[in-house]
Amino acid sequence: MEIRGVAIEDTFAEAFGMRAVRVIITAVSLRWAREAALKMTGFATSIIGCRCEAAVEREFPPSETPDSRPGVSVLLFTMNSEDLGERLIERIGQTVLTCPTTSCFDGLPESPDRVAAGRALRAFGDGFQISKILGGRRYWRVPVMDGEFLLEETFGIQKRAIGGGNFLILAEDAVHALAAAEAAVAAIAGMPGVILPFPGGIARSGSKVGARTYSNMIASTNDAYCPTLTPLTDSKVPRGVNAVLEIVLDGLSAEAIAAAMRVGIDAACRPGVVAISAGNYGGKLGPYQFHLSDVIAGRPMERSR
Amino acid sequence: MAYVGRVFRPGVTLTLRASATSPIDASALPLDQFVELDEAAIAKLEVRIAYQSVPLGDIFVVRGGHSASVRVDGALTHVHGLGTNLATGELAIEGSVGDRVGAGMTGGRIYVAGSVGDDAGIAMRGGVLEVDGDAGDRLGAAGPGGRRGMTGGEIVVRGSVGAEAGTRSRRGLIVIGGSTGANLARDIIAGTAVVFGRVGPEPGRGNKRGTIIATGGIDIPATYRLACTFEPPFVRLLMTYLVRQFDMTVGDDVVSGRFRRHCGDAGVPGRGEILEWVRA
Repeated sequence: MEIRGVAIEDTFAEAFGMRAVRVIITAVSLRWAREAALKMTGFATSIIGCRCEAAVEREFPPSETPDSRPGVSVLLFTMNSEDLGERLIERIGQTVLTCPTTSCFDGLPESPDRVAAGRALRAFGDGFQISKILGGRRYWRVPVMDGEFLLEETFGIQKRAIGGGNFLILAEDAVHALAAAEAAVAAIAGMPGVILPFPGGIARSGSKVGARTYSNMIASTNDAYCPTLTPLTDSKVPRGVNAVLEIVLDGLSAEAIAAAMRVGIDAACRPGVVAISAGNYGGKLGPYQFHLSDVIAGRPMERSR
Repeated sequence: MAYVGRVFRPGVTLTLRASATSPIDASALPLDQFVELDEAAIAKLEVRIAYQSVPLGDIFVVRGGHSASVRVDGALTHVHGLGTNLATGELAIEGSVGDRVGAGMTGGRIYVAGSVGDDAGIAMRGGVLEVDGDAGDRLGAAGPGGRRGMTGGEIVVRGSVGAEAGTRSRRGLIVIGGSTGANLARDIIAGTAVVFGRVGPEPGRGNKRGTIIATGGIDIPATYRLACTFEPPFVRLLMTYLVRQFDMTVGDDVVSGRFRRHCGDAGVPGRGEILEWVRA
């Protein structure tokens, strides 16, 4: 398969199940909502070292937020619900609560599974906090120095979230690889239910499970896709390719990831790109397989096992 | 008919046969059970007139059955207790109605196209009571001898209300589009009362942890102390909610407005508050 002369390899991205929440942060201006969201999603690229994965999902005009202010939604992923609660308490408590003018709302109100991060954070009010119920949802008014921090008591959990969707951009050189990856990120930006947790949405250090040399490593460099190692390893880098970048996607559903992969791959197929591939680990990592041919054709993804 | 965000399709319609002169007590009507009953069975249910039980079908023309969506119409000002203890379903009342509408309701939704008498929503625990017109005394307050007024749910009255609205309420939301009589939210334990018109004398006496939000003028009792003037995020959320869920008209200057926070009631002492809108 080819898209505008770029080869689409007959392979699949292998992904795994995660838990996720959507947090909507509003503020007096989009600038301050973004400030809080950027801090909240800092150091959250990979579950391997950051204990969660998070990024901004999209921005909202005042007409679409619960309090008629500009807002930003953040998706945060962990491997289990308990971790989700801990990470939310840490991150909302240290980054959103502290940020001037912000309020914090649940972005998955229909979910029956809940994590009570707001209930824990209310204690910052030291007994002066006030509970309010509106439309069956409980909010906490926590007194702070610029007035009050308003946050929702519980946040809905998406138990069928997926982490680790991905595709690889194999290019003639680093300049073209980066330009293609940037185009993919721009195309995916704002799509609902999906985030790209790595810096600027792009990862250069794709990894494999474990390591050859160091037994204590959970993950190590994906030597098969390192152009500098082509003579030294069982390389998958085709001739003429001198740089590879990876787009990693976490999503609230397989459909969201597949849709974003489809859009991103299409945008990445541009001059200087030789091929599009995907990272899989021989079934070691997770039960979800996004076959590139299915993704591009828009065929529904089936859980592999 | 329609009420905000919904198209109401009644499965059961009760039409009062003639204008009543004696009070009709409909508080025992099990509206929740209409979903299991056919037209004939509903007509056999009883209401009380002048201490006598009378089949519903003698008083109302009953149409339809097996539905939790009920419409009541006719000259209903002598019909009391409609929607008492409602737990699920929808009740639409076409026109003004008597006392105790939605008393003790725990869920569901009641819409009144006209005004309601006294004691509407007393001891309410959940659900939504929406009134297009005015309400009498003790809206959402405690029932006779009761220690607590409403403990949950939402009451929206677009017109004005009488005295003692929200007395001894704990949780729940009362929204009043017009003005209030005396003693709004007396001895309120918690919960919120929003008034867009003028608030009557002696609001928030004995307020423990409740909130009164006043945008149309209020005389702050001497037992409240001014804390600051700020833009409460919760008020913004609440006003947005009222606009979107109840189609209420709220000016942007109120949604994004500044409010004086008065803490009280010092006589209890309480941690309640009155949020008084500051006109820009």
